[in-house]
Order: sequence, then structure tokens, then C-alpha cells
Amino acid sequence: MSRRFASSIGAALVAAVVSFPAMAGQARKPPPKSAAWTVPHTPWGDPDLQGVWNDATSTPLARPDGVSDKPVLTDEEAAEFQRELAYGLTRDRRDGGAQADVNRAYNEHWMDARRLTVTKDHRTSLIVDPPDGKIPPLVPLSPERQQARAARAGAAARFAAGLPESHEELSLAVRCIIRTDSPPYLPTIYNNDFQIFQSPGYVAIAPEMIHSARIIPLDGRPHIRSTLRQWLGDSRGRWDGNTLVVETSNFRTDDGVIFQNADPATYRITERFTRVGAQTIHYEFTVEDPHTWTRPWTAMIPWTRIDPAEQMYEYGCHEDNFDIVHLLHGARIREKNGETVPKRNPER
Amino acid sequence: MRTLLFFAAGGIGALLTLAVVPVTAHHAFGSEFDANRPVKFRGTVTKMDWVNPHAWIHVDVKKPDGTVDEWMIEAGTPNTLFRRGLTKQSLLPGMEVLVDGYQAKDGALRANGRDLKLPDGRTLFIGSDGTGAPDDATPKKKG
Amino acid sequence: MRRRFRRVLIPVGLGAASVLVWLVVTATAGQAPAAGRFPPYKAPRLAGHADLNGVWQAFVTANWDLQDHEAQPGPQPEVMGAYGAGPAGQSVVEGGEIPYQPWALAKRKENFEKRMMVDVTDDKKWHDLGDPELKCYMPGVPRATYMPFPFQIVQGSGDYILIAYEFTSTTRVIRMNWKKEAPADAWMGWSRGRWESDTLVVDVTDLREQTWFDRAGDFHSDALHVVERYTPVSPYHLMYEATIEDPKVFTRPWKISFPLYRRMEEHIQLLEFKCVPFTEELLFGRLRKQPSRANR
Repeated sequence: MSRRFASSIGAALVAAVVSFPAMAGQARKPPPKSAAWTVPHTPWGDPDLQGVWNDATSTPLARPDGVSDKPVLTDEEAAEFQRELAYGLTRDRRDGGAQADVNRAYNEHWMDARRLTVTKDHRTSLIVDPPDGKIPPLVPLSPERQQARAARAGAAARFAAGLPESHEELSLAVRCIIRTDSPPYLPTIYNNDFQIFQSPGYVAIAPEMIHSARIIPLDGRPHIRSTLRQWLGDSRGRWDGNTLVVETSNFRTDDGVIFQNADPATYRITERFTRVGAQTIHYEFTVEDPHTWTRPWTAMIPWTRIDPAEQMYEYGCHEDNFDIVHLLHGARIREKNGETVPKRNPER
Repeated sequence: MRTLLFFAAGGIGALLTLAVVPVTAHHAFGSEFDANRPVKFRGTVTKMDWVNPHAWIHVDVKKPDGTVDEWMIEAGTPNTLFRRGLTKQSLLPGMEVLVDGYQAKDGALRANGRDLKLPDGRTLFIGSDGTGAPDDATPKKKG
Repeated sequence: MRRRFRRVLIPVGLGAASVLVWLVVTATAGQAPAAGRFPPYKAPRLAGHADLNGVWQAFVTANWDLQDHEAQPGPQPEVMGAYGAGPAGQSVVEGGEIPYQPWALAKRKENFEKRMMVDVTDDKKWHDLGDPELKCYMPGVPRATYMPFPFQIVQGSGDYILIAYEFTSTTRVIRMNWKKEAPADAWMGWSRGRWESDTLVVDVTDLREQTWFDRAGDFHSDALHVVERYTPVSPYHLMYEATIEDPKVFTRPWKISFPLYRRMEEHIQLLEFKCVPFTEELLFGRLRKQPSRANR
């Protein structure tokens, strides 16, 4: 039994993402033989990624300790894994006391139902490299970055207590500047949708939140100069066989722009999009920063086609962001009534 | 407490830190709404704002003394409901709703809609039969 | 004698004809193309239709005012000087004037007077004051087309066309030959497209009623219906037309039109104009714990 897993782990280490469906079949009956599926192409010859795609899943980014020796599960194990994850994630539980309850807003059907299902390949983590499925150990922060992190923690504590001092202490997501459109793309609780458009020389990826698009030139032009920095960086793409490889640089250096607040000077991100089936794209990202992680790491998240039955819809955010006023105005009122930020956050 | 196969060691709490986006990531409801001020009432919908990042349901609540309080109930993103086939016609003024939630910490007539139900006990917006939503049995047509 | 004559006549005739042709060619070659006129043009094809891909921009001053407007000092000239002043421009409205119902003219004037006033402390009055552009809200249709920023059309072989605007990184999906209705209103509306020969016709409904047409306070109701037409008229121009219909505000439908210009800089791309951070002090500054100078 373990030898089979060992060989499956070996298979998992193979870089090509196309091996995942094959690996998933290991513990199951192989699918019936049909005409080999080939990647469709656009009229101008690029692999076709056009459509609306959803990436929601309950499979955690990093492998939980209980399955540290199992990168892939059997059908029964995966079903149990999914049940336990769903139990932890569902918003329809009312147990755990009022503190837990208020944070579970709203009912489950306001959330993306797909986020309670594990990936079809039954992996125990989205991280595929390092092989243990965990984020690599962190490099000690420089004194400046430690200071920045302490400042963020202070603002976060004030936010959690509902007493933010100004809009600047709120996250970029709450301020409606960037949300899931900031790469790398990670599944979240709702609106896990992406629409891909293509034209000769371009691929455009439009995430639902917040209504933006990364329009990626494929003609080999250089990035904009390093003196120009953007919230979503600057992306360039190329085809590597059937895989779209995207390199993004020129990120702004504000807190929260770069993934996990890595060092803007040395952070690199590469994303790979591969159409592996009629209804599936494999999205893979590799991030590295010698000032943050001891080694690069890679995760793969399958995207499932949802159109034409389902669509991506406009996600206005700043336009009707009443919450900012509620949070700030409410904080000022409560301060007047003598409330202060508790020393220890009761929600921890 | 049920036995968990994969999370026995860390428990579900550990799971939430491993979840790709922790539940409290972008909006800690506990920071705005008061766990110690639960509210439960029945009211009449006067308007629903189908907006992002949160939909808002305006509800008139008749008090015992006959006066009417105007509450604003915060709900989730309407886009999820659109994909289930619901539209702005799905909750019209005049409908009755049962609100189970938590009031804003600053005492305003505002609550997060923890659990919204129709008077007959059905959860609000849960069903989408006949609307062409993905879990609908009726066949879908493009566009 | 006659043969000799002919031998002279023909070359002279041909010579004269060539001189005439040369004269005409150089005469027109020396002249710029006539404004408002495009020679007949057939756009290249993509997946069976005219190819509208590219980075485009309007250069009318319609975002200041759709109708005729003189140069004006703009808000707070004692601070902004010429920076804040508005340029003159001729109306992009066919016939010159927007056909408002009489009551609506007063509302337009009120909008203009309050265009820089903002008060977000009452949820119910959140959208009552101020130009949505000032607050960095998505501009709606057709205003997004004539904001002073480029936009990009990404047209492929699927059922959808993307239009991405540099202003506040907003996007719009044109659903081709689409039957389904919008589930609710949206700032950029619900766009259904179809081809009429080489013209992309976009039918836009379900626009949020809070958008304005320009900084002059031109507005509409929730009954707004816009039909756009994008027609390639040269390798470097699209002709844009938008017919605006709103029986609650106007006495009849009306039309705007102007060319869109292909941005020809090598390696042109949309950059970011994420203006939300530029508006936060205006909107939320007075709610700071320590009020900023401007908001005390």
C-alpha cells in the first residue's frame, strides 16, 4: 500500500502538470478509452483558454499535519477529507458560541458551493512543491520588514476590535483596491470566477473581484521600466507548448500588494495556464524570494469551466462600500463612549 | 464532538489557518457586529440593494408600541445568487422576512443577516428551482 | 503628313495626360485628408468579423461637457490655476443640444453646482451628491468611451468581447448574440452585442442610475438604454456612435458620435489608473481618529 503511495509521490514530483489526472486515476479504475482529447486552438493558432472558469476548492494550500505522509488520497479517504473540510468551513453551523457565529455570516448559500469540494485529483494540498506540501520555512526578516510587520499587526488588532484609526489601516481588500485579482490567484469564499479572453498576440484574464483585467502581451516585448510600478504588476506571456507562461513584475511596494508581503526587490512569480481537458485548466504558480522563503514553492489549482450556464458578473466594490463608513464612523462613536482596543484579541 | 480523521492533531481551528483564505480575511464581521447583541425579528422588506461588496436588505420592523424601526440588514455578495438563477425580482418590497443576526457595535439599526428566513421557515434565497440555475433540473439554454 | 502628325500628337497627348495626372496626384498628395471624411475602407477579418482589436482613445472634450462649452476656470481656481481649467469643445450631440424634459434642466444645473460635494455619512444619501467620476466610481456607458484615458478591445473567437478601460481599471463584457437578461443593475450595464456587417452594435441596458454622462451634470434615470456602434473606418480609426434613450428624462432619443483613434505608440499598453486611493481622503478623511488638516 505504501509502495504505491511512494510511487505516486514520485509521479507527483514530475514537473508537468498534465500528470495529475493520471495520478488521480492510480487508486481508481482507469477511465474508458475514448478518442484522445487534444487542446483546441483559436483560429490564429493559440491554445484556446477562452471562457469563464471557477477555481473554488476546499483543498488547503498547505498539507494538514494529519496527512503529512499522503500527498494523494484514495476515493474513500478523499470523501472523508472533504467531509471534514466541509464541516470546518460551512457557514451553516451555529455551534461554537456567539463570537464564532457572528463571523460565520452568512448562510452557506451566499458562498461558493464548490469551495466545499476537494480537487478531483484528491491531493491533500494545493502546494505540489516542496513535496511535503508545505510552505517552505521562512527566512528571518530584516529589521525594517519586522517593523513593517509589527505596524501591520497593530492595525490588524485595531481592525479586529472594530476600532480602526483611519481608512489607511484597513486592508487593500476592504478598501476595494485589489482582491482576488492580485496574483497568484487563490480560491476564496465566493466569486471565484475568471474570464479569459484571447486575441492575436494577447491573452486577457479578468478575475471577478475587482472587475479588472490583466491584458498580457505575447509578442516578447520587454516589461515596462522598473520606474513604473502597479498594484497588479506588469505581465508578459509566452506559449511553452500548450502552456501559457506568465511573468509578472513591477509591483508597487505598498503593504499587501505583494503576496505574503515578500520583498519587492527580490520577489518573483511565474504562473502557468494549461488547458488539460474540455472543462479544465490547470493553473500553477511558482513564487520565490530568498528574503522570505528558503526556497521557491509551487502550487497547482484546477480551474473548471462554468459558462455558458453560469456567468461572471460585475463586482463593483468601492462604489457601494458602505462598510468603510460603518467601520470608521462606528469606531469614532464607540471611542466617544470610552471603548478601547483590548490588550488581547478575544477572537484569537 | 465528532472524531476527525485528518485534523485530529490540530483540530478544526488549525484547519482555518491552513484554509486558503481564512474566514476572517477580508472582513471580520466580529469587528463591526456585536456578538453580545443578537437580534431576532420579523419585518417587511421595503427595498433590497443588489450591490457589492454586500447586498443590503431594508426591513421595516413594527415595535410593540406601534412605531416602526427601519433596519438595514447586511447580506453577502449577490453575484453568488445570480449564478444560482436569482435576480432582483427574487425579493420584492412587501415580502416578510425573519432576521436572525447581530446588531452593529455602534448601536445603529443595522445587523448582519446571520440567518435569513421566510415566514414558512424556508431559508431565504436557498432554492432556485425553475430558474435555470446549475442545480436546476430544467435544461439550460445558452445566454 | 498625317502619320507624322499622329507620331507627334500621341506622345504630346500622353505627355499632357501624364502631366495632368501628375498635377492631380501631387495636388491631392499635398493636401491633408478632409476632416469628417474617410475613404471607403474594409477592415481585416478575425474569425469571420471585422477585427476591432487595439488600444483606442477618444480625443473630444465630452467628459467635461457633452454639449458646446467654452474654456472655463474649473473648481477652486485660486488653488488649481490653469491645471484645473477645462478646455473648450464643440458638442458631440447630433443637433447640438440634449433634448431634456423641462424639469430635468433644473436637476442638471443642481448636479453641476454640487458636482464636488460629497457626503457619505448616511447610507441612504450616499449617492445623492457629487460627480461619480470625482469619487472614482465606474463611469458607465457611454461616458467610459470618452474619458481622457485609453481603453483596449480584446476580440477573439469566443462568445464574448472584452473592453478594458484604463480609468479605474474597469472592464465590460460584451456578450455576443445573448438572450438572457441582466439579473440586476451594474455600473457598466449589461451589454449584448451583434454584428451588422462590419459594425459592432452593442445594446446596453440595466445601467446603474447613479452614473453621469459628464462633469457638467448631464444625467439619466434607471430607464436608460444605450445602443453603441463601433465601425472601423480606417486602419487607425473607429467611428463611434451612441444612441441614448430615456423616456423619464429626455423628450426623445438622441445621438452622440466621434472618432476613436488607435494609439500608435510602439508597445502601447493600458497602465493603471486605480483612483480609489486618490478619493479616500475626500470620502473618509473626516472619519479619521485624528482628523486631517483639511477635514478639521
